[in-house]
Amino acid sequence: MSENRFAHLMLLPAGLWLLLLFLAPLGIVFAVSLGATDPLYQAVYGWNPGNFVDVFDPLFAPVLLRSVGFALATVVLCLLIGYPIAYYIARFGGRWKTLLIAVVVLPFLVNYLVRTYAWVAILSDEGLVNGILDTLKLSETGVQFVNTPYAVIGGLVYGYLAFMILPLYAALDRMDPSLIEAGKDLYGSRWQTFWHVTWPAAFQGVAAGCVLVFLPAVGDFISAQLLGGPGTYMVGNLIQQQFLEAQNWPFGAALTAVMMAFLLIWMSIYLRSAARASREARA
Amino acid sequence: MSTQGWAERLPVLGRRATRRRRRRRGFDRPRFLRAFFWIFMFFTFAPLAIVALFSFNSTPSLQQFDGFSLQWYDEFLSSATLRESLMASVEIGLVTMVVGTVLGTTLAFALVRARSRVAQASNLVMLIPLVTPEIVAGASALVLFAQIGIELSLATIMIAEITFSISFVTVIVRARLSALNREVEEAALDLGATRMQTIRLIVLPALWPAILAAGLLIFALSFDDFVIAFFTTGESPTPLPVQIYSSIRFGVRPTINAIGTSMLLISFLILAVAVLLPRLLGRREEENVLIGRDAA
Repeated sequence: MSENRFAHLMLLPAGLWLLLLFLAPLGIVFAVSLGATDPLYQAVYGWNPGNFVDVFDPLFAPVLLRSVGFALATVVLCLLIGYPIAYYIARFGGRWKTLLIAVVVLPFLVNYLVRTYAWVAILSDEGLVNGILDTLKLSETGVQFVNTPYAVIGGLVYGYLAFMILPLYAALDRMDPSLIEAGKDLYGSRWQTFWHVTWPAAFQGVAAGCVLVFLPAVGDFISAQLLGGPGTYMVGNLIQQQFLEAQNWPFGAALTAVMMAFLLIWMSIYLRSAARASREARA
Repeated sequence: MSTQGWAERLPVLGRRATRRRRRRRGFDRPRFLRAFFWIFMFFTFAPLAIVALFSFNSTPSLQQFDGFSLQWYDEFLSSATLRESLMASVEIGLVTMVVGTVLGTTLAFALVRARSRVAQASNLVMLIPLVTPEIVAGASALVLFAQIGIELSLATIMIAEITFSISFVTVIVRARLSALNREVEEAALDLGATRMQTIRLIVLPALWPAILAAGLLIFALSFDDFVIAFFTTGESPTPLPVQIYSSIRFGVRPTINAIGTSMLLISFLILAVAVLLPRLLGRREEENVLIGRDAA
């Protein structure tokens, strides 16, 4: 058996698995999104493009906009926080680099639910911060932290920051630090050095990081569920409700399909950059 | 401009120049960045430390630490439901680890060695699960199981988790595989070894650290996963994260601190093994893969 033949044989098990259990279900979701529910709340197939009109109904459109807004705010905050951290470690970490990046990422490996819950325990009305404020007599009524957009966005940042730091660090670490010295020696201002030397090197990492944070953030429902309330619900909460509570699968599937279609643009950006990176790695 | 004007300005210019030089030196020894780094560390670790601390509190309060006690751990481990949930999560992690590692490794092998359009396309398709939001994964798995009429149970969670762990394994193992030196393999084939023997005696031993690290990683991921499990879980037993979610929704309870702290410890333990084992086996490349240099 030729090597190529054998390699294709090895493609079969996982290839079939992903085809039947990953790609096919996405197709079924799309089919269901055009269906309807029978009186017993069972999804039946059909031709009801109206489900997609409902998605953009004035009742639900604000939720979609909010999701995108929250996710973008999360991306910006992650970039503002993650860049200095990644830069600091890549440039000044010295021989502790690997250890530092591992320690930085460590909290993000803890269960996302547990991490979000930690903030609930700290910020809720009976939580630690309000307890301290009360003891110090700083606030009579307590401060409401949870159930605000800030809490939800904060939860998302705390949830997905590592997806920004890792690619940024990878990109910045590859950069030769003597390039920065060279930029300075050639009388480049700090800004010029950043723009002509650091930024081109960091760009791949920034792009990958932004996409890797945006994708899960836009589909998240835990942060809005635990740190927010009905006023801060995101599209993830809506999808979850339709599938698991309201039993309106066609509408839930339509929401999922719209979200997936919107995210495909971002995914293709990421996939292209990842494919380029893996080609470079192989070359 | 008069000469006098210059004379007046000169010291100012001089002072400015020194200040700029000093600032540059400050940039190289980045006090600001270091301060920012430690503030960041505080804010990422403090919440977890607080949960861990209050899991030992002797009263249910989340505001005051009133003394050391293990009662919340006792409550966690003496509850039959919670114990079953813990076992369910471990089972999901183990099955996903074994099946996902085998499938992911074969896929990595195929993607590195196969040359055809199908293989090229698979290279891209393989990456999609990595960037699909979990809620889409969960919803589509739920719809699939409903359509083919499979009742939701632990098995459905396992199938869904395996689907989303294959790609992680493939990415990690592929990096190691494409770095392998082919000459040894070719020599083995020239000397009359069969393809299976070559794989068993030459390729697999070289890939072993990467496979192990990938396996532990997907164990940790599927053991911890909430969203996909939430969509595909049956009535009982439900995995631990699902159990945690439903109790958080009914309000903050100190038992959650104990469960959370236990899960935190389990995650750290598995990851410590995932990082240390390959090193003990004498390879260092995997840590690059683990911290995502390859993924970026």
